[in-house]
Amino acid sequence: MRVPLGWLRDYVELPVDPNAVASMLAELGFPVAAIETRPVITGVIAGRIAELGKHPNADRLQVGRIEIGDGAPLTIATAATNVAAGQTIAVATIGARLPQLTIERRKMRGLESEGMMISADELALPADWFEDGIMQFDPALQPGTDVVEYFRLGEAVLDVEITSNRVDAMSMIGLARELAAYQSVPLRLPELVHPGAGSRGPTHKVTIESPDCRRFVSQIFSDVHPGASPAWMRIRLALAGQRPINRLVDISNYVMLETSQPLHFYDAAKIPHHHLIVRDARAGERFVALDGSVRELTPQALVIASETSAECLAGLMGARNSEVTPATRELILESANFNGARIRRTAQELGVRTEASSRHEKSLAPTLTEMGAARAAQLLAQSGATPHEAAAFGQPLAPPAPVEFETRDVKRILGFELPVQEIREQLDRLGFKVEPAGKSALRIVAPPWRTDVTSSADVLEEIARMTGYGRIAAEIPAVRAHEIPSSDYRRERKVATTLAALGYREIVTYSLHGAQVFEKLRRGGVNPPKRPVEVLNPLSEEQRYLRHSLEPAMLEYLARTDVPERTFEIGRIFYTEDRQPLEMSAVLFGFTAEPLDEPDWRDTHFLRAKGDCEAFLRALTARKSFESAADERPAYHPGKTGALLLDGHEIAVLGQVDPRLQRAFGVRLPVYLCCVHLDDIPAYEIPQFKPPSKYPSTYRDLALVCDVELPAQRLETALRASAGPWCTLVRTFDEYRGPQVPAGKKSLAIRVTLRKSDATITDAEADEVVAKAVSALRAEFGVTLRA
Amino acid sequence: MNLSTNLEQLRARFEAALKQSADARSLDSARIAFLGRSGEVTALRRTIGKLPAAERPAAGSRINEVVEQMETSFREAQARIDALDVGASLSQRIDVTFPSVAPLQGSIHPMKRVMHDVCAYFERHGFAVVVGPEMEPDYYNFDALNIPPDHPAREGFDSFFVTPNLLLRPHTSPMQIRTMQQHRPPVAVVVPGTCYRRDAVDARHLFQFNQCEGLLVDEGVHMGHLKGMLTGMCRELFGSEQQVRFRPSYFPFTEPSAEVDTTCPLCRGDGGECRMCGGSGWIELGGAGMVHPNVLRNVDYDPDVYSGWAFGFGVERMALVRYDVDDIRRFFENDAAFLEQLA
Repeated sequence: MRVPLGWLRDYVELPVDPNAVASMLAELGFPVAAIETRPVITGVIAGRIAELGKHPNADRLQVGRIEIGDGAPLTIATAATNVAAGQTIAVATIGARLPQLTIERRKMRGLESEGMMISADELALPADWFEDGIMQFDPALQPGTDVVEYFRLGEAVLDVEITSNRVDAMSMIGLARELAAYQSVPLRLPELVHPGAGSRGPTHKVTIESPDCRRFVSQIFSDVHPGASPAWMRIRLALAGQRPINRLVDISNYVMLETSQPLHFYDAAKIPHHHLIVRDARAGERFVALDGSVRELTPQALVIASETSAECLAGLMGARNSEVTPATRELILESANFNGARIRRTAQELGVRTEASSRHEKSLAPTLTEMGAARAAQLLAQSGATPHEAAAFGQPLAPPAPVEFETRDVKRILGFELPVQEIREQLDRLGFKVEPAGKSALRIVAPPWRTDVTSSADVLEEIARMTGYGRIAAEIPAVRAHEIPSSDYRRERKVATTLAALGYREIVTYSLHGAQVFEKLRRGGVNPPKRPVEVLNPLSEEQRYLRHSLEPAMLEYLARTDVPERTFEIGRIFYTEDRQPLEMSAVLFGFTAEPLDEPDWRDTHFLRAKGDCEAFLRALTARKSFESAADERPAYHPGKTGALLLDGHEIAVLGQVDPRLQRAFGVRLPVYLCCVHLDDIPAYEIPQFKPPSKYPSTYRDLALVCDVELPAQRLETALRASAGPWCTLVRTFDEYRGPQVPAGKKSLAIRVTLRKSDATITDAEADEVVAKAVSALRAEFGVTLRA
Repeated sequence: MNLSTNLEQLRARFEAALKQSADARSLDSARIAFLGRSGEVTALRRTIGKLPAAERPAAGSRINEVVEQMETSFREAQARIDALDVGASLSQRIDVTFPSVAPLQGSIHPMKRVMHDVCAYFERHGFAVVVGPEMEPDYYNFDALNIPPDHPAREGFDSFFVTPNLLLRPHTSPMQIRTMQQHRPPVAVVVPGTCYRRDAVDARHLFQFNQCEGLLVDEGVHMGHLKGMLTGMCRELFGSEQQVRFRPSYFPFTEPSAEVDTTCPLCRGDGGECRMCGGSGWIELGGAGMVHPNVLRNVDYDPDVYSGWAFGFGVERMALVRYDVDDIRRFFENDAAFLEQLA
């Protein structure tokens, strides 16, 4: 909210320095986002045009004799056309400093001009919000008055942030009240006596049909004249960021900015029987707003209607039909209180937000209806309108419920001691009523405008604010033992540190993506998920879908670089099951690499990826070996993809990314990825030590010729099974295909390691075991020993 | 030919082979050829069986004698070769300034590192680290946190909805509720995790970000403890001189509530023309406060017995300050240069 300091000073004594005011507000919980300082303007005074005549030498100029109070009248020429004798206007005297220029004595077409009549623009006010031409003041303003000082035009404007619980402070008086309490100085309120009591003028009636209107204070005013507002009001509104419109609209805006209470004026002539009805809108009811926009309403909207049509969208905006116009002579004032939630929903549904609704939707205190109405009545009466008897409809003002407050809670919650007397003084300054309730408790009644204070915790915050949050002293707590596990987080950390140790670099990508990812998948020959999890209200199409896997973002990332990369990401992926959106934790790691010069039945990069994957799984599970099996799945190379299994369950998939997909994503180098769903990985099992044999081991290297289709792992497993308990390791270490073996065959070099636990194994024993195992393989797979 | 002659010839040939050997490998093959399991000495031993029984012991000991001599020669030859090797090695000269062979070096993402440092600090003080789902129902995001439907504060959590009742969490606070539902006090947890808000993107804001939530509930927990822990955390993250300041604020799930600032690590609180803090000398970290009694009641904790505090800070925000990064988007772009510099 824009808060002109000059306006705020009406109600409370404040330091001169705006920074000092800003830091007080910040300590009260109202941070100041910006301090807008005003340009230095001097030498501008009010002048009365005593005479005005044509310039002797120029058709387009006029020359005025301007009375300026004590000094001799000034002769000033002007090109403006909105001037006339008798007006009080803004005059920049010789030597005056304006934002763009300094006024000097000069001749205009041969006539010496002793100053300049100036416009709002020269006073650094928004030019198009004020009269076209010379700035006009009220006749009551004494000629010679220093304009900048009088209107406090040199005072800074603060941009104050007001939290949603403090709608009472969305106003000059609200903030002044806080500053007065903080400094222990008096608050100077405008007089709030409701004029018009006892009038026998026109009467009116308000029927409240909805409980969402809690209170409706109304009053009729006759003899209204919607001309321009006095200069002081227009200047204040402008500095507060509100465009001045006319006397009536300005009064309603001014009162809202001053008290927080929004108002609405109806042209009484347009309201049959002066009867207003607060009711739900009818389905399909047409509403033509002030700005001419047309809306079809639903019963969700609350309206204030005449007997014939809706005249106001409660808390939002008035209807064109009954808006006040220059022809309005009699008006009905509305100062009402609504259920904030209802106003908020309607505002959202209709996509309308006004200064009024931004206050109503936070549920104003009902007491403010009286204050707003009284202040408006006073300003209307000042402007010459005749007030008639005011009336209040709806619920009576209920006193706020008292809060029982244990004074020891100050120490218990805030951590510092405060004497009861000090607590009472602080609350008293904020307008709370405090009385003792038993030994250590206080009974506290919040002031009626503080509907946000309803519990002991709320009172504590008031005490903390008044004492100053700086009083809270840092202290390290002794946290008592508990048994909340950190296992999921630890596992994620373990994944990250293991992969980093294996040389992979962690990346973090967006979980939301657009349809272009699906397009790339399609171009790469991969069907996008049938039911991707979709955001109902995305900010942009680029953020419509939740990722179903980590692969696309990884590929997009790898496409950005030409050199080999090793990266990993840990994150949530999203999918739909039984129409229910679900999520799980996934890990993806992999690398790009320059292709190697290898026969097409061998891929060392794949084996490297597999090695990393096994090392990764070993670190997570403490298990030593994993089965592998060829696998085929979309996005991966049909001949270079495998799954790793543990106890028969698949726990990781790895392989080369399908080269078609690689190209669709624009990745230059072949990509090898390993994908793991964290929930599939069995828990870490604490490894148990088995003392190794004291006796040396021996080994036999075998060259076995078998069908090319036979996976090495099957031979290894079979060898191991038939080699008996002395066999400690079977490992294939080379493969040969070529002219030295028959067509359709390959030769695998396998090392069998043997060791006995109770004696040194002899050559004869080793030879016998291996010979038996080889003959078993011969029987099962038809393998032969290579000559 | 008698055994002695044979043995002498054998030894002579072995000595010659040793003499000719210029390296360990040829030395070894000479050893295998003569003294190995299937070497010439073994073959000679087999001939003993053909001798009359009376001559056998003498023949055996003769062979052993020669073998012993051969082994001595072998060890001498070995020592000679080894001395040659050492000499050759010592004469090598390399350029030690030549660039190193790079190890395979991975790294942890800088945002995750900050996240972990925060968690590690709290773990040291007895907090558990818990993680939770990124899609959460209204109840955990709002209702249980004292933000009923139509509460104006919901506006501050402009959220992405996946179904009318399921949304991408706009903060990590749902885990406050889930944790307290599952455990009785004392509860001491930090919650790191990804959050989403419908924020327009600029150098300071993103629709996706990470948060670290902290929650301590027990008897006798007060706001000074919050300040103490946060001060410690800031000193760990930004430097040993860090101070922490609270300013009053409003969040529906805490009362009293505070905005938390820490000394600007760049200007060390001097302000002036500092580009990081804009001259205020302070950096905003995020919101905190004493857990609202209604939140405690929602999980069946008695607010007259238990009190607690909570905070929720943006991890990227802390990382921006810690590493002096100019734009939050860098944390999601993963530029090689960015990751390398902060690795």
